[in-house]
Amino acid sequence: MINDPISIFTTVAGDDTSSEKVMGPAKMIARNLNFHYGNFQALKNINLDLPEKSVTALIGPSGCGKSTLLRIFNRIYAIYPKQQATGEVLLNGENVIAPSYSINRLRSKIGMVFQKPVPFPMTIYDNVAYAIRHYEKLSRKDMDSRVEQALRDAALWDEVKDKLNHSALNFSGGQQQRLCIARAIALKPEVLLLDEPTSALDPIATAKIEQLIEDLKEKYTVLIVTHNMQQAARVSDYTGFIFQGELVEFGNTDDIFTNPVKQHTSDYITGRFG
Amino acid sequence: MKAMLNLRRQITDYVAKIMATLATLFGLFWLVWILWTTVSKGLPALKWSLFTQMTPPPGSDGGLLNAFVGSFIMSGLAVLIATPIGIAAGTYLAEYARNTRLGETIRFVNDILLSAPSIIIGLFVYELMVRQMGHFSGIAGAVALSFIVLPVVVRTTDEMLQLVPSSMRESALALGVPQWKVVRQVLYRASLAGIVTGVLLAFARISGETAPLLFTALNNQYWTTSLGEPMANVPVVIFQYAMSPYEFWHALAWAGAFVVTMLVLVLGLVSRALLLRKKVTV
Repeated sequence: MINDPISIFTTVAGDDTSSEKVMGPAKMIARNLNFHYGNFQALKNINLDLPEKSVTALIGPSGCGKSTLLRIFNRIYAIYPKQQATGEVLLNGENVIAPSYSINRLRSKIGMVFQKPVPFPMTIYDNVAYAIRHYEKLSRKDMDSRVEQALRDAALWDEVKDKLNHSALNFSGGQQQRLCIARAIALKPEVLLLDEPTSALDPIATAKIEQLIEDLKEKYTVLIVTHNMQQAARVSDYTGFIFQGELVEFGNTDDIFTNPVKQHTSDYITGRFG
Repeated sequence: MKAMLNLRRQITDYVAKIMATLATLFGLFWLVWILWTTVSKGLPALKWSLFTQMTPPPGSDGGLLNAFVGSFIMSGLAVLIATPIGIAAGTYLAEYARNTRLGETIRFVNDILLSAPSIIIGLFVYELMVRQMGHFSGIAGAVALSFIVLPVVVRTTDEMLQLVPSSMRESALALGVPQWKVVRQVLYRASLAGIVTGVLLAFARISGETAPLLFTALNNQYWTTSLGEPMANVPVVIFQYAMSPYEFWHALAWAGAFVVTMLVLVLGLVSRALLLRKKVTV
């Protein structure tokens, strides 16, 4: 564990906000997490508990590090050579950012959906079946039902059930994004990471995705990054406010939005900066 | 004052527009002239025997069958040799060595090979193969042509893969699928039209190459499909017949030039259509 000297001045999240609130058991836990892009330290000593089967939102101004934090949880940062995370991220008690934890295994447990919907250049069916095929050998019938279930869970089934063999590229942005969610949950992950999933969508498509996020927390632990504070207030149970690489405050969404403890949080939420 | 400035801008704009248009017309003029000459001299010389008879000795009738077949074999083989290597190398550059010094160096060397004069490539393969074997051969011709195809395929594969948004790479990797599978099953699919276009354009380019074949396959007046022997090919036959004093050979050369030009034109149109379709779907 590396403790950066700067972290001495950092308020460790959760210390003074979460004590009196009832939180579910933590599904993922970040401990003393630091992140570097080359020489630039993007995250400073983050400590965060993601309560199981709930929606946690990360908010903060552009460049504060909220997407960076999200990208650590499934180690997608590791595809870029100059990015490095130190500290611990525990999933069911195991440190997933340790090199000994298989990336393959990690990513089958933690699904991710990106800002811009990127369906693969194949049919709707193959988009959903693609990753399943990598992990499991299923019969045609079992695969059909897995694909159907994933599309139903992503609230897309009724719109595409007659077009499973059409190219995924011909659908609307909102449908493509729900397809990306279906693709991620087809692997039956435990945690779902959503990186500004609606920022490229129109309001109607956004509303559908937000409704979907509500439903998803019955089965999954959801972590969503959003630059839209109203969205965080609408969809999340817990909210973390990140500023300049530090987790300034974390707690129940209602508390964060109505009664923040830190001045910075209050300034950001009331629109004084960011 | 302001009106003056406005007028000046309009005049500058007008002059620039005229200059640009003239430059375009200048370029097009020669192209149209070349095409027109090829069509007007080649079309009348076109007849069925062109594709059924062998290249004739001076003074008798014939066609270009052995040259067409030889060209087809050597160009096809060159594409078969260079395409897998080129795609693999382009994939390495785009996916595994994107921002590394080694990758940049290879890219630079590849660009040099891309613009190397084809006669140098002919001489190189002459030293490499013809001298060792002791005679000209079809396989030497195919290897020389493959050196021309290779950098084109490397370059297009590299560029087409780089055009695939990194978000697609990330979303596939985020599913836990290993990189080689992502490249093969997702990224190739996304860039297929572009890579195929590169291969087609490379094929078009070598179908008219004369210099590398002059030193390697040379020519053959007779029918052969054996890669160990000198092999007839359209560009060298055109070169030889055009230089000759016989009217009939001239006509055959024009007909051959016409056929090759049309082939290149068709390949160009096909690759354009492929790229256009890609734009619509991706």
